[in-house]
Amino acid sequence: MSMTTAQTDEVVKEPPAPATPSDERERERMRRRLARKRGGGWWPYVFLAPWFVGLFGLTIYPMLDSLYLSFTKFDLLTSPEWIGAGNYDRMFTEDPVFWDSVRATLLYVVVSVPLKLALALGVAILLNRPLRGIGLYRAAFYLPSLLGGAVAVAIVWRQVFGGDGLFNDVLGWFGITGQDWISSPDTALYTLVLLAVWQFGTPMVIFLAGLKQLPKDVYEAAAIDGASPVTRFFRITLPLLTPIVFFNVVLQIIDAFKTFTPAFVVSNGTGGPLNSTMLYSLYLYKKGFTDLQMGYASALAWVLFLVIAGFTAVNFVAGRYWVHYDD
Amino acid sequence: MGHQISRRTLFRTASGLAAAGALGSALTACGGGTGAGSANDRLTMTWWGSDERHAAYKKALAAFQKKNSAIEIEERYSGYDGYFDKFNTNVAGGSAPDLLQMDTALVAQYARKGVLAPLDSYVGKSLDLTGFSRTLLAAGTVDGKLYGVPSGIGVNQLTVNRSGLEKLGLDFPDPEWTWADLKKISVDIHKKSGGKIYGTDDVGGGALQAFEIFAREKGEQLFSADGKKLGFTSDTLQEWWEYWADLRRADACPPPAVTSAAHNDLTKNAVVIGKALFTFDTGVYGAGGSITDATLDFLPTPQGDWSGAREGNYVNGGVLLSATKASKRVADSVKIVSYLAQDPTAIKDMQLLRGIPPTEKARDLIKAGLNDTDRRNLAMADHISSRVAKASDVLDAPQPPPQGADQIWDLLFQSNLSIAFGRTTVKSQLGRFFDQAAGILSA
Repeated sequence: MSMTTAQTDEVVKEPPAPATPSDERERERMRRRLARKRGGGWWPYVFLAPWFVGLFGLTIYPMLDSLYLSFTKFDLLTSPEWIGAGNYDRMFTEDPVFWDSVRATLLYVVVSVPLKLALALGVAILLNRPLRGIGLYRAAFYLPSLLGGAVAVAIVWRQVFGGDGLFNDVLGWFGITGQDWISSPDTALYTLVLLAVWQFGTPMVIFLAGLKQLPKDVYEAAAIDGASPVTRFFRITLPLLTPIVFFNVVLQIIDAFKTFTPAFVVSNGTGGPLNSTMLYSLYLYKKGFTDLQMGYASALAWVLFLVIAGFTAVNFVAGRYWVHYDD
Repeated sequence: MGHQISRRTLFRTASGLAAAGALGSALTACGGGTGAGSANDRLTMTWWGSDERHAAYKKALAAFQKKNSAIEIEERYSGYDGYFDKFNTNVAGGSAPDLLQMDTALVAQYARKGVLAPLDSYVGKSLDLTGFSRTLLAAGTVDGKLYGVPSGIGVNQLTVNRSGLEKLGLDFPDPEWTWADLKKISVDIHKKSGGKIYGTDDVGGGALQAFEIFAREKGEQLFSADGKKLGFTSDTLQEWWEYWADLRRADACPPPAVTSAAHNDLTKNAVVIGKALFTFDTGVYGAGGSITDATLDFLPTPQGDWSGAREGNYVNGGVLLSATKASKRVADSVKIVSYLAQDPTAIKDMQLLRGIPPTEKARDLIKAGLNDTDRRNLAMADHISSRVAKASDVLDAPQPPPQGADQIWDLLFQSNLSIAFGRTTVKSQLGRFFDQAAGILSA
């Protein structure tokens, strides 16, 4: 079907007949109309100006500035002092907390993203059925995502998984004595993972939209051929859905790398216990705004930028081998 | 399908755009920072504290404004968490407050960076410091200049759940107690409570002043005179960590999860949650006592029980009030500082909420209006300061700590916690501690 549209696209329109040299007035009018149409002078730029101001003032300039600052020692209160690659050197050779934060962040990304996407897909499949009041269910499952980014929920989390929290009360019903999950370096990060997974709503909605687009005739054919639901899922649903999976994977990885709020709130701004919840963005914030090492924080930001860009590039390259577009 | 955009293009473009947008925000989050600046000509004043302190400040400032109608004050107050993060951002953005409550631990750092205004030229004129002792003013003095006016006398005290001790049938310790006494009574508390309550909270990693006083009892300061090095020896820190490791083994203090939970969170303090009867965290009482139902009493930090142990306590300045250098209203700020220090109504409003008032006159004024807990606190403070005044072997009060000091506190806390969780040993952590501390102080 898309082949036909591609062909119509190739059709070359006949050029308009050139004005005869004798008709001076007509030519003049034509020239003016063209000038108005093509040039328009600066009007388009006036309308684009607010966006340009935002782009340069709020994105490009601060980015370049932070690149410059990353080569300086800058305490936010006095002028920056050029120290070359000193910040980067320190980061990789003499800052153990940097490595703690890298370890915590990678673990967080690697555990939370697949779990969250698997849950999102599972629930999307359940919600892709013609049930009564299905809209209500969908809204209910999406709700945590509306709340999840909020500070309030992170505070609740801190309470629920604390030593005398709700979670331990529930474990108590089954005769299990829980511990303080937030304050143990072995478990604290997983409470953050759980919080992330619980906010599966956004990828779920995207999966749901994708599922609704899948062609029904393929399923009918498969059912007639006697394919089981499991086979249909792995042989039809999943392959057809790979572009959507890809989209979600890319976004969720980037999001996970940048996670700040839950780590900040759940650990009470400390990244503890023992730096086990010191997610990269939290460390960056602490260095910049608490320890007044804005130059070092800028260097951290650029390393994060390059790492995320690297992960995204790998995703796009790897995507060629597993993402199937049906065109 | 009317459009020419294929699914491939759509998804790839969408993924790419989303990725680019998400990436950009990671970087710009660190680059921005425009100062809001105050549009009006009001004088901004910031402080941190408990609800009780907020109310007292507001009352005192309202009275001030009645007498000085030309000075309009915009009050911004919060808890301690994030207070200085916000201050840093405001200073960098050119919207620093005119007058602020300053931490004695940070005053040197800000003064040396040129953020604070020296107040010496106002002293004796619009800044009335009658009755302030020289040693007290040292808490706000950096490199010979006065950058902060102390709000009160601070001496380190342990807060004790007195009713808890009585319930277990244990005697209230003598104020001249030693570290060995603390261990003994803590073990007793654990035994007599059937293992439900520990004795003291674990301060092997801070409260900082506990370790500082311990080091001073050994004749050492936290920092060298120039602030470029640590002032205590590896032996002292080793003995300190081993003391707390010993208490943990004896169940005299709570396990590390409790210590970790209480970090930066007063509501999880071991005494507040009823897991211990002694706490070194002065914040429990500082919150106006409203945070626990227990009857609170106070004790000095234990004394050294080895031969040649010195008096370790010292008198510090409570919190400070400082004006910022960029402010055009330093003269007005000074008037407020002077008013809070000397005006009888302001003093009565404030009571002990910013520490024990620094002058005799002020202490006499508030005595009548104090509740029992405040009275006990004041009595113990008097006892400690007179002990310090009488001691012949006491070291000078410490200098305001150098830049990076707060990172050293954090390192101390993390180190002790790491030992408590069994991730490392005292011996191997000592080397790491001194290496990293040297790096922080030379940065």
